[in-house]
Amino acid sequence: MKIISLFVLFILTATTVFAEQRSEIEQCRSDLIGQTMGGRERCWKFQSPSQIKELVIQNKREDVQKRVYSITLILQDPKVPGKYKAEAQVVYEKVDGQMKIKSVGLISIAKIE
Amino acid sequence: MGLTKDQLAQFEQGKVVFKRVFTPENGLGPLFNGNACSECHEDPVAGGVGDEVEVHATRFVPPNTCDPLFQEGGPVIQQNATPLLQAHGIQKEEIPPSATSQARRTTPPVFGFGLIDAIPDETILAYEDPNDKDGDGISGRANRSIDGRLGRFGRKAAVNSLSDFNAGAFPQEQGITTPRLPVEETINGKPVPQGTDPAPDPEISLAEIEQVTNFLRFLAPPPRKFVKDHREQEQVEQGKKIFGKVRCARCHVPEMRTGPSNIQALNKRKVALYSDLLLHDMGPVLADICLDLATPSEFRTELLMGLRFRKHFLHDGRAKTIKEAIEQHGGEAKNSRDAYTALSAKDKEALLKFLETISDLFVPAHDNG
Ligand code: HEC
Ligand code: HEC
Repeated sequence: MKIISLFVLFILTATTVFAEQRSEIEQCRSDLIGQTMGGRERCWKFQSPSQIKELVIQNKREDVQKRVYSITLILQDPKVPGKYKAEAQVVYEKVDGQMKIKSVGLISIAKIE
Repeated sequence: MGLTKDQLAQFEQGKVVFKRVFTPENGLGPLFNGNACSECHEDPVAGGVGDEVEVHATRFVPPNTCDPLFQEGGPVIQQNATPLLQAHGIQKEEIPPSATSQARRTTPPVFGFGLIDAIPDETILAYEDPNDKDGDGISGRANRSIDGRLGRFGRKAAVNSLSDFNAGAFPQEQGITTPRLPVEETINGKPVPQGTDPAPDPEISLAEIEQVTNFLRFLAPPPRKFVKDHREQEQVEQGKKIFGKVRCARCHVPEMRTGPSNIQALNKRKVALYSDLLLHDMGPVLADICLDLATPSEFRTELLMGLRFRKHFLHDGRAKTIKEAIEQHGGEAKNSRDAYTALSAKDKEALLKFLETISDLFVPAHDNG
């Protein structure tokens, strides 16, 4: 009995953690829309969620005022050929008690297809 | 004309940042091309032309695959290093090993570029004729940046907006990190050695970059050169007609209109740019690198708006005179060039006279004197 409840608890926790991570990724994905990282030829404006083929949160640093995600992305726009792999830093800052996206820093990008 | 007190203040603030000379202590390098925007864009005033020549390199796989080689330091290859980096034996960035070709780019004037930025995409796209449906030998197609947006800045029209260009000019020309590019330019993809970048990152704020964009946004197009002499005026008028007749105007579109804007100086204004901002195949002699959709022989129709400030012509400055620049038009512009060559000496002279006066007729947003 005990073992079963422990097992159920484990599954529940695992699912919650997984769901939380998922919702964090989804939140980040939607916050990115409208942001631009990089500049000149090496530039990406996030225009729609469908351009983000993959988003993985590699690391998260947070204090009371600020949150910084290190993410990796696979990016592709249907209007042009080419698929890109990028590393970026997504910076949030607390405004009126709420964490708001402030900037997206492009760390590296490479054409993969 | 046209600027509010507040906009004038933004213009002045932005000019200061455009002219700011960076040193290694406040962020310059470790790799860089120049130490200030105005080191290159300087003549006759900030925003003008310059002697500096940039080096670009990319990888082209025919028929149409282009890799800008970001991961190897492309497409802009930095030509200078700070003393701290030189102490590691590095004088500049090398051409990436995977590059198939390299290119040289002279420093263009950017007067009136706020108006170019404000032209709606649809206006430009309306000039496209990628399959040459009208059969005049001139096609013209838009370039797009890697994220799919319409391109219009740079000789290959690979950059979408003035603010995107400027946000990239700080890191790529001056080695200045920004919140949008918070790590130093790599050395052909390798991080800079420890201790060569003493200034804390980011080395400039988004607000300062925005000020520079406002400076360029409000920088007036060059006023048209005034011709007093009556006989010369007639010659200029004649030259203008010939410009249309030999079909220069097919690519060098004399005028477009900006879209609606709450900035009065940019609101539905005519801009005499003399370009369609599209790519044209200029033939094998001028060809160099690919960039995004642009193949090696495709270039954006160069704006003739600032022509009279230029000291050398074509993307790499190979033409010493306007006449030479016209004579080197090939590819889609071959028929137009041949029509020019066939003109009488008098008509050629009239055309050149007209080109010398070209400038924006309509919108003095703000004079940068
Ligand atoms: C080392 C010289 C150099 C420096 C420094 C420099 N530029 Fe440029 N700039 C160039 C060259 C060369 C080009 C042409 C690039 C091309 O054609 O692809 C250019 C192009 C441009 C354009 C686009 C012009 C066009 O025809 O579409 C803008 C806008 C611009 N620069 C702004 C800036 C700003 C803002 C700064 C400072 C942050 C700056 N530049 C610093 C050399 C320089
Ligand atoms: C098919 C389109 C096309 C036609 C037609 C055309 N041009 Fe051009 N023109 C271009 C392009 C593209 C460039 C940039 C080429 C480069 O930088 O290598 C250019 C560059 C120039 C330049 C040099 C500008 C500079 O500052 O570097 C001048 C001057 C010029 N054209 C004048 C003319 C005249 C005059 C005619 C008519 C006889 C003409 N062009 C016809 C596309 C065209």
